[in-house]
Amino acid sequence: MKLRADFVQLYRDVHSWVGIVAGLFLFVAFYAGAVTMFEEPLQSWASAPVGLPPPVSLEQTPALLEKALAAYPEARDDYTIAVTPEDAQRGRLTWDGSGGQVHHAPTQVMAAGLDAQGNLVVVPKTPSEAAHFVDVLHQQVGLPLPHTPAMLVMGVVALLYAVALVSGVIAYLPALVKTLFAVRLGQSVRKRWLDMHNLLGLFSLPFHLVMAISSVVFAFHGQIFAVEHMLFPGSAAGQHGGMHGGGHGGGGHAGGRGGHGGGPDGGRRAQGEAQAPQSAVSSGSADHVPGVPPQPHDTQADVQHGGASGEGVPLVTGAASASAAPVPSPVPVPVSAPVLAPTEILTIMAQRAPGFVPEVLNYMQLGHGKDVVRVFGHDARYPTRGPTGGFVVLNSHTGAVQSGEYLPGHQPAKFAILTTFFALHFGSFGGTPVRWGYVVLGLGGAFLFYTGNQLWIVSRRRRERESGLVVETRGTKLLAALTSGCTTGCVAGISAVFCAVALLPYGGTYGAVSTVYYSVFCVFVVAAFCLPGQRSIRLLLAAAGAVTACVPLMLCLHGAHLLRTPEGLGVALMAGLLGVFLLASAAKHTREI
Amino acid sequence: MSRTVRKFSSKNWFFKVLAAVLPGALLVCGLMGLVGVLCHTDGSPRSASGQYLMWMGALLWSALLSVCFLFRSGVQAWGVLIVANGVVWGLFVLLRSVLS
Repeated sequence: MKLRADFVQLYRDVHSWVGIVAGLFLFVAFYAGAVTMFEEPLQSWASAPVGLPPPVSLEQTPALLEKALAAYPEARDDYTIAVTPEDAQRGRLTWDGSGGQVHHAPTQVMAAGLDAQGNLVVVPKTPSEAAHFVDVLHQQVGLPLPHTPAMLVMGVVALLYAVALVSGVIAYLPALVKTLFAVRLGQSVRKRWLDMHNLLGLFSLPFHLVMAISSVVFAFHGQIFAVEHMLFPGSAAGQHGGMHGGGHGGGGHAGGRGGHGGGPDGGRRAQGEAQAPQSAVSSGSADHVPGVPPQPHDTQADVQHGGASGEGVPLVTGAASASAAPVPSPVPVPVSAPVLAPTEILTIMAQRAPGFVPEVLNYMQLGHGKDVVRVFGHDARYPTRGPTGGFVVLNSHTGAVQSGEYLPGHQPAKFAILTTFFALHFGSFGGTPVRWGYVVLGLGGAFLFYTGNQLWIVSRRRRERESGLVVETRGTKLLAALTSGCTTGCVAGISAVFCAVALLPYGGTYGAVSTVYYSVFCVFVVAAFCLPGQRSIRLLLAAAGAVTACVPLMLCLHGAHLLRTPEGLGVALMAGLLGVFLLASAAKHTREI
Repeated sequence: MSRTVRKFSSKNWFFKVLAAVLPGALLVCGLMGLVGVLCHTDGSPRSASGQYLMWMGALLWSALLSVCFLFRSGVQAWGVLIVANGVVWGLFVLLRSVLS
C-alpha cells in the first residue's frame, strides 16, 4: 500500500493534535468505563445492609403490598417488586421517596417488609453512590460539570476520538503492516511507546470504532431527535410510532444511565432502568434535557398526556399509549381493579418468553385502564439493550404485552440490530467472558491513550534536543505534567473512592464520593506540576499503585461476601494486579528521551 | 487525488474544520431529511427508522469531520459544503412536497 507522502503527513498532524486534545479525557472515560463493568457487584458491596426483616416470599407479596400501599398511598403510582432473592434482601417492595433525584443528593428510596407478626416495617434505604459516581465519571469524561454541558463536551471529545481513529489508520496503517509485531523493547523509549501504541490501537480498532460512533450518538441523541422532529413534523407519532411501541431507549445514553446506575438492590435498579424508556420517550419531545432521566411524576404526566389525548400530540407519547397497537386495545378496566400479582406476572412471562429471567417488576399506575408493569430482566442467550438487561411492558390488569420491542430474543429484526449497537457499547452480550473482555479492552484503551500522550511528549523532547534547546519548552512540560497527573490521579481517585466507601456514611453519598475523587485527583495533578520531572512521575505511580493495592484489602475487610462471587474475586484480583503493575512501573521508570 | 499538483497540508485547518462543523452539520441534517423522506420515516425516537437515521447522522458527521482536511482551502471547504447544502435541502423540500 503506497499513499502519497503529503497525504500521510497531513493525517499524521491531524492524528497527533486531535489525539493530544482528547487523550486525557478519553483515558478517564475508558478507565472508569472498565470499572463500570463491575458496577453491580461494587454497588451492592458498598451499600449498607437494609434494616428489614427477612423478605416475604413472592406469594405473600400481595399482603405486603396491601399494607404498604394503605399506609403510603403516594407509593401507589410507582412501586417496585424485587424478584431475585439477592435483590429481595435489600427490600422486596421499594418506592422512590425523593422525587427521582439522580445527582448530588442521597437517593431516598423507601423499602418495606413484614416482620414475623405480619406488621409493616418501612425503612429509608440509601444505597451507596460510589459505583454510580464512577459511571457518571465515565459518561462525562471525568468532568465535574452539570449533565448538559458535560454531555456537549463529551460529544466533542467523541468526535475528536472518531477523527483520531480515522486519521490514525490512514497515517500509520501502511507503515504499520511492515512492523506489526515488532515491539522494540530494547531500543529507544520512543520506539517502545510507538510499537505499543500501534499494536494496541490496531488490535482494538473495531472496539474503538464502535465506542466512538456510539458515544457521538449518546452525546447528541437529544439534539438529533429534535432535528428529526423538525424535519418530519407532519407525521403523527401515534400513527407510525404506535406500531413500534413505547418505552424503548431512543436515547442510548438514557439506557446506559439507567442500567449502569442501578445496582442489584431492587428498587434503585428498577428506578434507574425504568428511567431508560421514560427518558427516551421524553427525549423526543425535546422538553427534557437529553439523557437526563426525568422526574418520575413528570414522566407520568407525559405518559398520561399521550395516553389520554392520543395522536394529537406528536412525540409526546408514553409506553402505554404507544403500545396500544400491537395487541387489541384492552377493555377499559375500572381504576380500582386489582393489578396482577407478581407471581401471576412471572407465570405470564415464563409462558411468553421462556429463558427470560425477570429481576424486577415496576408497577406504574397511569389510569384509564392503562396501568402497566415493566418487567426488567435478562436472557443469557441474547444481547440486551441496556447494560444489564432488557424489558417488556405489560398491562398490569390483563397481562397483555404493551411493548415488547426490547424483550431480549423477541425483538423484531430491525430493533434487534439497533440493540446490537448498544450491546456492543455496553458489552451486554455473551455473558461473563465478554464482560471480562470489555474490562481488558477498556483498560487497554486507557493505556493506548497514555502511550499516545507519552509518544507525543517523547517526540517533542527529541525534536527540541535536536534543535539545540537545553531545557524543554513550556508546552512539553505542561503536557508531561498533565499526562502523569491526570492519569495517575484518575486511577488513584477511583481506587480511593472504593477504599473510602467503608468509612463514609451510607457507603458514600454522591457528594461525599465525588469530593474524595476530585480531592485525590487534584492532589495528583498539583503534585505533577510541583515536583521535578523524574521524581514526580515515579512518586505518582507509586502512590497510585499503593492506593489501588489497598482496594483488595478493603474488599476483604469491608464485607468479604463480595469475594465469594466470581466477579468480586475478579475485581480484587484486577485491582491487585493493577496496583502491582503501577508499583513496578514506579520502580522501573526511566526518563524517556 | 487525481490532481498530483495539489499538495495536502494541515494549514488552514481551522476554517476547514469550521466548515465541517457548521455547514457540515447542516448538510448532515439535510441528508438525514432526504433519507428519511425516502424511507417515509416519521422521525419519532420510538420508531426504528428514526433511530437508524440518528446513527446515520452520527456516522456521517464523524466521517465528514475526518475528511474535511482534504479540502484545498478553507474557502473551498465552505464553498463546496454550502453548494452541497443547497442541493440536498432543495431535493429534500422537493421530495417532501412530492411524496407527502
